[in-house]
Parts: sequence; structure tokens; C-alpha cells
Amino acid sequence: MAGKKVLVVDDEIHIVHVVAIKLRNNGFEIVTAANGAEAFELVSSEKPDIIVTDFQMPVMTGLELVEKIRQNEATKDIPVILLTARNFAIEDKQKEDLQISDCLSKPFSPKELLRSIQDILHHKAVVQANR
Amino acid sequence: MKLRRNLYLVPITLVATGIVAGGLLLGDLAGRANSGIGVGSRFAGYVQNWTVVLWVCCVVGVVGVIWLIWYCLKLTGGITSITRRLDDNNLMDSCFGGNAKKKRDGNPVINELSRALSERLDSYTNRNIVLERQIQDLQIQIQLSQRQKRNTEAIIYSIRDAVIVIDEFDKLLMANEAAGKLFDFDFRNSQHRPVGELIDTANNEFVDFLHQSRQGKIRHTKREIDFSRDDGPKTFDCIVSCVYDERERVCGVVAVLHDITREKEISQMKNDFVSHVSHELKTPLASITAYSEMLSDGEAEDEQTREEFYSVIQSQAKRLNRLIEDILNVSRIESGLIKVDKKPVSLAILIEEQLQMIKGYAEEKDIEIISQKPIVFDQVYVDKDMISQVIVNLLSNAVKYTPARGSVKIESEVDEIAGMARVSVTDTGVGIPEDELEHVFDKFYRVVANKNCAKGTGLGLNLVKQIVEKVHDGRVFVTSEPGVGSTFVFELPLATTETAEAVKNSGW
Repeated sequence: MAGKKVLVVDDEIHIVHVVAIKLRNNGFEIVTAANGAEAFELVSSEKPDIIVTDFQMPVMTGLELVEKIRQNEATKDIPVILLTARNFAIEDKQKEDLQISDCLSKPFSPKELLRSIQDILHHKAVVQANR
Repeated sequence: MKLRRNLYLVPITLVATGIVAGGLLLGDLAGRANSGIGVGSRFAGYVQNWTVVLWVCCVVGVVGVIWLIWYCLKLTGGITSITRRLDDNNLMDSCFGGNAKKKRDGNPVINELSRALSERLDSYTNRNIVLERQIQDLQIQIQLSQRQKRNTEAIIYSIRDAVIVIDEFDKLLMANEAAGKLFDFDFRNSQHRPVGELIDTANNEFVDFLHQSRQGKIRHTKREIDFSRDDGPKTFDCIVSCVYDERERVCGVVAVLHDITREKEISQMKNDFVSHVSHELKTPLASITAYSEMLSDGEAEDEQTREEFYSVIQSQAKRLNRLIEDILNVSRIESGLIKVDKKPVSLAILIEEQLQMIKGYAEEKDIEIISQKPIVFDQVYVDKDMISQVIVNLLSNAVKYTPARGSVKIESEVDEIAGMARVSVTDTGVGIPEDELEHVFDKFYRVVANKNCAKGTGLGLNLVKQIVEKVHDGRVFVTSEPGVGSTFVFELPLATTETAEAVKNSGW
């Protein structure tokens, strides 16, 4: 997993900070953004391997960000993990349509998030190797 | 009876005999007087015997006349008795007492006739009395039912919910004022008109519902129906009940429509509130959980990082506590359970303390805080903690909704005539649209356009209003221009003896 780039998006600076430390300690490269709009700009330039985003944010929500990413050919396959403090924030169908890999509810465990990121990237690597 | 009927022949015979005898006796006496002439002397002895007979006959005739007279008198007496009885009956006394019966005497035929007539008369009189009583009873009943009808109508008319009663042909039988207002028809003069005509076609769903309920013969049915009205859409809880006659046939339906627009709004607001609050509570909780886990997993490599993690946990725990306090305060103030400790407090010191609190947040967002100096030194008669909360809520809102490089200004002045101190907080923030200004102090309300600018529970300004107006008899208001900024102003009573007393007496 070393060198894989993760884009962490949350308007709560403490959450971004803690996720960044956890992932950096485990060999990931980190890019951060405070809302969906900032993140969308970074997606094209930074080309992250995976995105971890909050659901409710000012300016552009996490869901709007995912919708925009999926519309762009270059970014449409980037896996996304949604963090949300809301129950039933997203329906299963929407999750499937937007290809959201995982949905973690706040409060979340950084350990669990790390495991989820590793699983998704591992699965992606296997799929790519098989092609 | 036959014998009795012939009795009157006896005196008549006797009288006739008397008359004949009297005539012969008179003739004899005349003959005697003329005997001197020579004709009567021949019959002298013969005549003497006849005279005795004639005298006897005369006596019998006289007796017959006396009998006849007695009989006539008796007959007259019987009729008089009937007449008297009839008179008595007319007076109605005899009907109840029956004293007249005792007086009855004389001819049994007449008596019987009289008794029969009197009994018939008695029965008619009794029936008459009974009927008159029945008429009186019915009149009373009519009056009672008329009064009852008026009462029932008055009750139905005064019901706040709309009430509509229709018959088995979907024609209006009765409607109250609320129904007339809701569907815009003259509720007193629309009887027997088809309900489909009275109610606007835009509200056909209700007319169909009435029709279906009647056809389906369901005793009670309930449905939430949205009505389009000039003053905006309204939601009504419609309960339709079928009315059954004695043969269990549906003879009409009663519809009661209760306006639940406000309840729906409140319910929606509560749902939104729960959603907001859970989000707001979970955000600091997420930090606390994540940082604690990092510490326990040894992810903080050096002492400085550990210190940083502890400080985040502490600040997030405080934030969580503040939020819970806000929710509890609103609920306590609303229920009147909060303890209020009012004392004369220096407004300048209160403002200065809160400015220190907000400084860090403003610097973080690159917002300039402008404070007027010297500020008012007068004392206000308030609960210090509560007014601190008001000031910090207004200041943090101003910073929260002002973009970077903006400014927040706090000013105060004294209106000695009104006995009030006035504090205003002006920002250069996003502003509030005019049509939403009246709602910003509502509980859980958040300005639609500004929801994405910052997070909030929609409780801060409600708390401000409750504390200033409900607890301190003050006043709070706002002026704003979208894109330019907002000014929130609150007024508090000055700590003069009079105001202190007045506030104390008001129960707070």
C-alpha cells in the first residue's frame, strides 16, 4: 500500500488531521480538502487512488462531489469511502449507482477506516491484475 | 212501559165523563126551571135519580182534572230537572263531583236519558281535557326541541374545526363557519346545494373522499388532505363518519376537518432538529473517539503529538457539552424550570469577557472584531450567565456567517428615558433574505440559503430570544441585507431601583 495517495475531505479539521496521521503512519500519501468543491479541484490534479469524504459539508456535499467525479471519464473509477454522522444518509440504490465502496458512520474507528481502505485497494489491485 | 204510556188515558177518560155529566146536570137544572110552563113535570121523579148520578160523575171529572194537572206538573218537573242537570254539566262541576246524580228523581226515562247524555258529556269533557294537556305538552316539546336545535347549531357553529354534514344525495345539510371559511361559501344559506358545487374543483379530493365514504358505508374514515388556498397550501386531517338511520341505512355523512398545517410543520422541524442535533453531537464525538483510539493504539509518536491529541479531545468534549447545554437551556426556559439569578451586572465587563472568548475563533477565520470604546458602563439587572450566552451566541453567529477578511462590530448605548441598555452586533456576512427575517428566532429554523455556509442546530437565536424577552422582559430584533450583512440588536433593563423591583415582581 506504500505510496498510495488518499484524498481526505471533511470540514472538521480535527477529523482530517486524525485520519491523515493514521494513514501516514501506515505508509499512505495524504491530500486534504475542507469541502467538496476544493476536493473536486484536487481530484484532477492529484489523481488520488482513493477518496475518503464526509457527507455533509458546506459549499459542496460529499454526495455532490461523488456525482461530479463519476461524470468525468478520468476520475469515474476512483473508489470512494463516505463518512457520515447521519443515519440513513444514503440509500442502498444510491450507494450502488454512485459506486460508493464503503459507508462508515461517525463516530468511526480510524483502525476500521484503514482496514476498509486497504481492502478496497487490494480488491482493486486484484481486479486490475486479472484484466 | 206500555202500561205506563197508557196511564195518561185514565185522567182524560175521567175528565170526559165529568164534562158529559156536568152538561147533563146543567140541562136538568134548566128543565126544572122551565117546569112551570108544563113540559118538565112529566119527568120529575126520573130526573131526581139522574141528578145523584150526575153529581157523582162531576166529582169524578173534577178528580180527573186534578190528576191531569198533577200529571202535567210532574212532567214539567222532569224537564226542569234535565235542564238543570245540563246546566250543571256545562259548569263541569258535576263531572267530577257527581252531586247531580243524587238530585236525580222523577221520571225514570228522562233520568236515564239525562244520565246517558251526562255520561257522554263527561267522557267528551275528559277527552277534551286530555287533548288540551297533550297540546300543551307538545307545545313545550316543540319549544324544547327548537331550543335544543339552536343549542346544537350554536355548538357546531362555534367549533374551530370545519364541520360539514351532507345527506344521502351529497347535498349540504349543515356547515359551520369554519367550513364556510375554508371552502369560501355562505355557510348559513347553502342548505340543499350539492357539495360538489360548493367546494372548489381544486379540492375535488375531499368531495371524492366524502362520496367514497358514503358509498363504502364505513363508520369512520380518516385521511390527510392538502387543500389549495389563497393564503397558501394547508393540510387538514379529515375524519368522515357515516350517519345511519333506524334501518341501518346510511342517510348522510359528517365530515370534521382539523387544520394540522402547523403540527406538520412542527413535526418536520422536530425531525430536522433531531437530524441536526445528532449530526452536531456526533461530530465532536467522532473526534473524541478517533483521537482516543489513536492514543491507545500508540499512533502518537512523540509527546507533542500526544499533547495535541489530548487537547483536541478536551476541546471537543467541551463543544459537546456546550451543545447539550444549549438544547437543555432552550427546553428549560420553555418549560419555566430554569433558575434565574438576576443581579446588577456591568454590561462592559460582560461584553469584554465574551469578546475574549470569541477572539480565537475570529482569528482562525481571519475576521476583524471591532469593539466600541469606551463602552457603556451602566449596569443592567440580569442573569450574568444567561446574558453572556446571548452575547456569545450573537458574536459567534456573526463570525460564523461572515466570510474571511470580513468584520464584526459590537456597540452599546443607553436609553435613559426607556430605562434600557441597547447592544448591537453588526457583521459583513452573507445576510438574511427579507422573507426569512421573521423566522430566524424560531426554534430549529435555519436560513435556507445559508445552511451550507456553516453548521448549526437552529437553537442559538431561539435561545437569545427566550433569554432576552421571556426571562428579562427585553427585546431582540434584526435588520439585514443579503450579501451586505446583518445587525442583531437586543435591549435589557437598566439596573435602577425601579426596574430591579419591577423585574423581581414579574416572577423572574
